[in-house]
Amino acid sequence: MIKKRTVAFGVIAALFVSLMTAIAPAQARDLKGTQCGREGLIRTIKGITYTCERVNGKLQYAEGRKLSGTLNVVCGATETWCAAMARKFKEITGVETKFVRLSAGLVPARLEAFKNNPEFDVWHGGPADGYVVGRNAGLTEAYLSPTRKMIPKKYLDADGYWSGVYLGALGFCSNTQALAKLGVRQPRSWADLLNPRLKGQVLTAHPSTSGTAFTTFWTQVARLGSEDKAMDYMKELHKNVLYYSRSGVAPVGAAGSGEVAVGLVFAHDCIAGIQNGLPLRNSFPSEGTGYEIGGVALVKGAKNPLAAKTFIDFALSADAQNLGVGAQAYQALTNPQAKYNRLIIPLSKVNLVEYDFEKAGNRKPDLTKRFDDEIINRSQVRG
Amino acid sequence: MSNQSGNLKLTNITKIFGNGADKVTAVDNFNLTINPGEFVTLLGPSGCGKTTTLRMIAGFETPTEGDITLDGKDLKNLTPDKRPMGMVFQSYALFPHMSVFENVAYGLRVQHASKQEIETRVAEVLEKMSLSHLAQRAPNQLSGGQQQRVALARAMVVQPKVLLFDEPLSNLDAKLRAQMRVEIRKIQQSLGITSVFVTHDQDEAMSLSDRIVVMRNAVVEQSGTPDEIYRRPNSVFVADFIGRSNFFKVDKVESKSKGNAKVSVNGESMEVSAHPNAASSPNPVLLVRPESIAVKPAKSGKSHGTVTNIVFYGNHVEYSISTSHGEVTAIESDPIYDEIVQPGNGATFEFHPSRAWLLPNEGKIVHEE
Amino acid sequence: MAIRSQSAKLDVFTKIAIFVLVLILSVLILIPVGNVLYKSFQPGGIDVLRDVVENDYTRQIVLNTIWLGTSVGAVGTLVGFLLAYVQVRVSFRGKKLLHVLSLLPLVSPPFAFATAVIVLFGRSGIISNGVFNKEPMIYGYKGLVLVLATSYFPVAYMNLLGMLRSLDPAVDEAARSLGASKFKIFRTVTLPLLIPGLGASFLLLFVEAIADLANPLVIGGDYTVLASRAYVAISGEYNVPGGAAYSTILLVPALMVFIIQRYWSQRADVVTVTGKPSGQVDMIKTPLAKYSLLTLAWSIAAFVVLVYSMVILGAFFKVLKVDYSLTLDNFRYIFSGVGNDAVLMTTMLALIATPIAGFFGMMLAWVIVRKIKRGGQALDFFGMLGLALPGTVLGIGYAFTFNSPIQVFGITILPQLAGGGAILGGAVAIVMVYVIRSSPAGQRSGIANLQQIDPAIDEASASLGASGGRTFRKISLPLIRGAFLTGLMFAFARSMTTLSPIIFITTPDTPILTSLILAEADTVRYGYAFAFCTLLIGIVLITMGLINLIVRKTQGTGYRPITVSAG
Repeated sequence: MIKKRTVAFGVIAALFVSLMTAIAPAQARDLKGTQCGREGLIRTIKGITYTCERVNGKLQYAEGRKLSGTLNVVCGATETWCAAMARKFKEITGVETKFVRLSAGLVPARLEAFKNNPEFDVWHGGPADGYVVGRNAGLTEAYLSPTRKMIPKKYLDADGYWSGVYLGALGFCSNTQALAKLGVRQPRSWADLLNPRLKGQVLTAHPSTSGTAFTTFWTQVARLGSEDKAMDYMKELHKNVLYYSRSGVAPVGAAGSGEVAVGLVFAHDCIAGIQNGLPLRNSFPSEGTGYEIGGVALVKGAKNPLAAKTFIDFALSADAQNLGVGAQAYQALTNPQAKYNRLIIPLSKVNLVEYDFEKAGNRKPDLTKRFDDEIINRSQVRG
Repeated sequence: MSNQSGNLKLTNITKIFGNGADKVTAVDNFNLTINPGEFVTLLGPSGCGKTTTLRMIAGFETPTEGDITLDGKDLKNLTPDKRPMGMVFQSYALFPHMSVFENVAYGLRVQHASKQEIETRVAEVLEKMSLSHLAQRAPNQLSGGQQQRVALARAMVVQPKVLLFDEPLSNLDAKLRAQMRVEIRKIQQSLGITSVFVTHDQDEAMSLSDRIVVMRNAVVEQSGTPDEIYRRPNSVFVADFIGRSNFFKVDKVESKSKGNAKVSVNGESMEVSAHPNAASSPNPVLLVRPESIAVKPAKSGKSHGTVTNIVFYGNHVEYSISTSHGEVTAIESDPIYDEIVQPGNGATFEFHPSRAWLLPNEGKIVHEE
Repeated sequence: MAIRSQSAKLDVFTKIAIFVLVLILSVLILIPVGNVLYKSFQPGGIDVLRDVVENDYTRQIVLNTIWLGTSVGAVGTLVGFLLAYVQVRVSFRGKKLLHVLSLLPLVSPPFAFATAVIVLFGRSGIISNGVFNKEPMIYGYKGLVLVLATSYFPVAYMNLLGMLRSLDPAVDEAARSLGASKFKIFRTVTLPLLIPGLGASFLLLFVEAIADLANPLVIGGDYTVLASRAYVAISGEYNVPGGAAYSTILLVPALMVFIIQRYWSQRADVVTVTGKPSGQVDMIKTPLAKYSLLTLAWSIAAFVVLVYSMVILGAFFKVLKVDYSLTLDNFRYIFSGVGNDAVLMTTMLALIATPIAGFFGMMLAWVIVRKIKRGGQALDFFGMLGLALPGTVLGIGYAFTFNSPIQVFGITILPQLAGGGAILGGAVAIVMVYVIRSSPAGQRSGIANLQQIDPAIDEASASLGASGGRTFRKISLPLIRGAFLTGLMFAFARSMTTLSPIIFITTPDTPILTSLILAEADTVRYGYAFAFCTLLIGIVLITMGLINLIVRKTQGTGYRPITVSAG
C-alpha cells in the first residue's frame, strides 16, 4: 500500500518539475537565433543583451552577452555627441558608461601611453587615419560586429579593426558678408579658390594636422593625378592662404568671425557653425572633393570587452547614428538606414574623388615634409 | 664672576677652497690655544684667513684638516647651532622683522626658557647695554651703534662659552668705534667669556686683546701680547702692520749675548735688542718707532736729513724727514710750537738704543711712504 | 668682508629636507622627463633629432622658438618692471587698482587671451578694422609676442615689485650725495641691484613662452615653434617619439638661458636687507618723467582691461561680432551638466596643489640659496623643468610613467596614479602636474628674495642655537613672506588654467574645466567657451583674494619687515 503512494507522489513531482521547467523564465536560455524586429536593434532581455543581425536574409538575435561593470569610452567626437551616446547606451543595456573626450589626433598617443594597462574599452569618433595608425601600433583589436553588415564596405577596415560610423565631405565654408565686401562670388570650384581677389582670405589647416587638411592635399593628388601637380596647386593656393591653422575646425571660426572669407573644412563643421549663428554658407568644389570617415574600434586589452563589443554594435546602428543631429553633429552617416535630416548633406549628392585612404596615409609623412620645405619654409617672414 | 670653561684649542687647522687649478689655501696649519676668559684678536689684512678661521670655530666652515676642541670636546661633527658660541656679525644681522626685545630673546626662546626667565634676563642685558628704552623698536629704527649693542646683547644673553666677533666695529664712525671698544672690553672682562675677535684695525687689536694673532696669507706671522707684538715684532710685515715704523739699514752686525746685537747705523755703533734670527739673516733692519725718535734742528754742519713735511695734530707733531737712507718718520708729543723744525730745514734725529729692535729681513727693505 | 662660502655641516632638518625635495622632484618631474627623453631616441624621434642638423625648416623652428622666448622675456620683463617701478617710485591715485590690473593676466584661461586679441585686433577686429579700418596681420610672431608678453608679465611684475620695495634707499641717497643725477642713479645703482630679479623674470618668461602651446596654436599663424611642432607631431603625424624629440630640443635653450641667468645673478652682490637703517624712498617728481611713466603704465593697464572685457562680454553676447544681443544662454548651458562637476573638481584639485606647490618652491629656494653649494644649480634647474617642457609632452610623460603601478624588485612602491583605473580616479597625477607646473614661479621669486637677504641673518640664528628647521620657520619664511604669497597665488591661478598636460590624464571621474573649454572651442561654440572662461576667471580672482587675506592675517607679527616685502 505504501509503495503505491510513493510512486504516485513521485509521478506528481516529476510532472510538476517538467511543467515548471516548461513555463519557468528562460534564465539560462539564450535567445540567439530567435527572430527580432530590426537590423541593428539592441535589446536587453532579462539581463542579457542581444544585437539583431541579418543572417542569410533572416533577422535574428546574435549571441547574447551578459553585460556588467563599467564601460569606458575614449571619444574623439564632440562632447555632446559623446554624452548622448553614453546616455543612450546605458539606457539600452544598463551598463554604466563613462567617456573621456579627447581631440581626435591625441587618442592614439593616449592609448599608446596606457598600452600595458588600458584605461578604455572602446574608441569612438575621429578620422580613419588615426584608426589605421591604431591598428598598426597594435592598439586595437579586430571585431566583426553583426551590425557591420549594414555598412558599405568602403567605410570599413576589411579585417574589422575599425568600422566607419560617420562621413564628412570637404567643402568651402564662406562668410557671405565678407565675400560681398570683396565682391567675390561664393567659390564653387578649386579653381575659384585661386581668385586673386581672395588673397589672404582663405584659411585651411596645415596638412600635418589630423584629418582635414591632408584631405585637402590628397584630394588634389586624386583629382589632378600626381603629387607634383598637387604641390603646384597648393603653391598657387598658398598665395591666398592667410596661414595654416593647427586645428581642423579653426577655419570655421575664422570664416565665421570674418577674419577670412573662406575656410576649408568638412561640411558638417560648417553646418555646425551656421547652426551656431555664424553668417556662413557651405559649397562643394565641382571638380570633386575628398572626405573623411569617422570610426569606432575595440581597444586591445579592454577590461570590459563584452560591453565594448555591444557598444560597437550600437555605434554602427541607425539608432546611435541618429543621435548625431540632436547633439549638434551634422556628419553624414554610414548606416544607410539612418534617418534623413535636412541639415545633413548626404554624400551621394557630392562629387567625391577616388580617395585611397591607405595610400594617402602612407604618403602623408613625405608629402607634409615636402609641404613644409617647399611652401612654409620658403615663405617664412622671419621674426 | 668668571667662567671656568671656555678653553678653545685649534690644532693644525687648514682650509682649502676649491680643487684642481683654482685651489686656494685660505688657512694653513693654524695652531692656537685660548684660555678661559682670554680675549684673543685675529689681526691681518683682508684675505689673510682670519675670518675663515673664525667661521671654522663657529661652524660655518668645515676645516679641511685639523681639529677644534672646546673644553676638550671635539667640535668637528657639531653643526653651528649645537656649538655653545655666540657671534656678533659685521652687519649685525639683526632680524628685521622682530623688535629689539624679540631679537635679544630669540636665543632664549630656542633654549625653551620660561617666559619669566626670558623677561628677566633680556631686561637685564638690555639695561646693561643701555638699550632698555629701545626694547620695542624695530631694528631699522636704530642707529648703527644701537644696532651693534643689540647684536652684542643678543649674543651674550644666552651665556655662550665663547664669543665670536667678526669685524663688528668696521661700520661705525671713529668716535663710536672707540666708545664701543671700551664697552666691549669692559663687558667681556666682567663676564669673563672667552672671546675671539677678528679685525684688520690694529688700534682695535691693541686696545682690546689679551693676545694678538697676526695673520698674513693664510699663515700666522706672530702670536703674542700687544706689547710683544709692538715692541718685538718677528718680521718686517708685523712691524709695519702694527703701528708706524722706521727701518734703518745696518752695516756690520755682530751677535752678542742671546737677544742682543752690536750694530752700526749711519756710522754710529750701538748695542740693541735683537730677534734671534736677525744676525743670521742677509739684510737685517733696525726698527725704530717714530715716537722714539727725537728731532732737533741741524746744527753746525751736522744734519741727518731735511724736513720735507710736518703735520701738526695739536697734541703731537709728525715729521717726515728725507735722509740719504730714505724717509724717516718721527713723532713728538706735546711739542712747543715754536720749536718745531719747519719743512725745508735740516734736522738731526736721535733715538735711544733701548728703543730699537733688530729684525730679520725677508729681502725687501720697506720704505716709509 | 671675506668670501662667504657654505661648507658648513648640514643639520638633520636640512638633510631630511634635501632628501624629500629630491624625492619629490624625481617623482614629479625627473622620471617623467626621463621617459620623454627615452622616447625621443626611438624611431621617429631620432629622425627629428637628425632634422635639427640637416633640415632647414626644423632649424628655423628652433630659431623661431629662441627668438620668441627672448622677445617675450624682454618685453614681459620690461612691462613688469615699468609697472613695478611706477608702483614704488611714483605717487599717484589709483595705486591699488593698477596693482590689481597688473596681476590680472595671471588668470588667463587657455585660448581666451589670444581669441580676444584676434576679436579686437584681427583682420576684422572690432578695433583694428571697425575703428581704424585696417587689416593687421596679427597671426604670427607679432601677435604671439603681444599675447604671451601680456599673459606672463605679471610674474615679472611680482618679482620686481618685491625687490624694488626692499632696495635700501640709503644707497640711492649715497649716490645722490656724490652728485649723480636721478637717471644716472637709476642706471648705475638701482638697475644693477635688481639684476637677480630681472634675470629671474627673464628666465621665467623665456621658459614659459617657449613651452606655451595654446597661444601658438591660436594666434601663431605660420610662425612655427617647437611646442606647436611637437603638438602637431603627436596629434597629426601620430609620432609620439617625434613630439618627445621636439620637446627634448626645447630643453636646450631653457638650459642655456638658465645658466646665463645664474651666472649674472651670482656676479651681482645684491645683499640689501641687513636690518640696517633705511631712509626715505626717493620718489619721481619731475613732471615729464612722472607723467610719461604713468601714461605708459595706464596704457598697459587699459589694454589688459580691454582684452578681459572682450572675454567676459563674449560670454554674454549671443554670437560675438555677429549677434550682439545679450543672453544668459551661454551660462545656462555651462551650468546644466558637466560644467558643475568640472568646476568643483578643478577647484578642489587646484586648492590641494596650491599650498604644496608654495612650500615646495620655497623650500627649494631656501636649500638652493642658503644650504648647498654643489648641486644647487642642478636642483634649481630640475625645479624649473616642470615649466620648461611643453604641456602636451609633460602630459605624455606622466601618462607613460604612471600608467601602471611602479614596482621595484616586485614590491609596489607606487600605485597607478594616472588615467582611468588609477587610485582616486587619476586625481593624484593631476595634482602632481599642477604642483610641478606652478612651483617654479615661487622658486624663482624665493631665490631672488633670499639673495637679497644677508646670509648672516640665517647664521645669526644658527649661532643662537636654532636648528635649520627653526631658522627656516622663524626667520627665513617670514622674511620671504612676499615671495611665498606670490608663489601661492600663482600656483592657484596656474593650476586652474592648465590645459595641455592634463588632457592626457583626465578621466571621467576628474572632469577638468579647461578641457571643457577646449571641447567648446573645438566645436566653434565660442559663446560657451567664453562663458567657461569667465567662470574660471571669477573663481580664480576670488580665491586669490582670499589667499591674500589669509596669509596676511596669519603672518602678522606686528613687525612688517619694512625692508623686505612684496605686494
